[in-house]
Amino acid sequence: MSPLEMLTTPGENGMNLLDELRHSFDSQFVISFGGTGLTQYILWMLITATLTVVVVLVGARKDSLIPTNKFAHTIEFLYHNICGDMGTSAIGKGYQRHMTLIATFFFFILVSNFVGLIPGCKTPTGSLSVTWALSTVSFFYFNYQGIKARGGWGYIKSIAPAGLPVVMVPIIWFFELISLVLRWLTLAVRLYGNMFAGHMVLGIFSLMTYVFVAGAIQQMNLILGLPAIAWMALLIVMYALETLVAFLQAYVFAVLSASYVGLATSEH
Amino acid sequence: MESIITLAALKVVGYGLGTCGPGIGIGLACYGCCVGTARQPELAGRLFTDFIIGAALAEALALIGFVLTFIF
Repeated sequence: MSPLEMLTTPGENGMNLLDELRHSFDSQFVISFGGTGLTQYILWMLITATLTVVVVLVGARKDSLIPTNKFAHTIEFLYHNICGDMGTSAIGKGYQRHMTLIATFFFFILVSNFVGLIPGCKTPTGSLSVTWALSTVSFFYFNYQGIKARGGWGYIKSIAPAGLPVVMVPIIWFFELISLVLRWLTLAVRLYGNMFAGHMVLGIFSLMTYVFVAGAIQQMNLILGLPAIAWMALLIVMYALETLVAFLQAYVFAVLSASYVGLATSEH
Repeated sequence: MESIITLAALKVVGYGLGTCGPGIGIGLACYGCCVGTARQPELAGRLFTDFIIGAALAEALALIGFVLTFIF
């Protein structure tokens, strides 16, 4: 059996290797009682939430005026960075009130993306339900803040940018409303798509490595196993890229939430 | 079986076509961000934030295409 045939040959349970990889991304109950239960993503979300709280609280506890603890200093550096990037430049005046939520988003998504990079762990953000919940929180928060800052009618009017000709206002308002509602969808799908696709690519590359190594061992033929080295190298490169993406997506989610809050509340 | 395979293939092709525009758009936004930062490095943070917001708007189209592959 050639290595590539191994990929598509059904195993004992009727699934080939690619199907098994695809199946491993589906939500399944790991702990179930009655008709309900915890899927593996929700279980890892609870673990990640606990981990985030522990990491940030320990960092805050060890924080001092003169930084001596490297770990606490890292947390402080990240927090100051997001205060600068997202607070002052995206929200503007009075950003301190919103930083609790934005920083929570950033740290939670950062920790959950990095947890998913450890082999054997699942990333909670690889499930659409989790990212959908996060983006729902963000969506309702910025609308609530906008209504609080301008009043209901003022917020509805402010969806269309000021200074338009009167005839154009309803048309532009309608398009801006669509783009406003689409923020709900895009925040969720961006994070989910990036994490899911990245892990799928990593899975396929490791599957290819496995298939070539297994083929070489089965047929006692070293030459056949040579492509495994190339796949392994590609896997390592993609893993490095995924580490970058894990950080970048946490940053992007937080900075977009911050800028939506800024757009909703700022005075034009 | 035959028609399912065709539909799945069409989804992937459609998504690929859908990414062309946003890809060009994000590329242009990144170009503008890099050029602006090279001219005025002290504005780097602000420019990067604006770049992310612009890229998010362009990316929305590609993401809608991604979602449509699930729906149909």
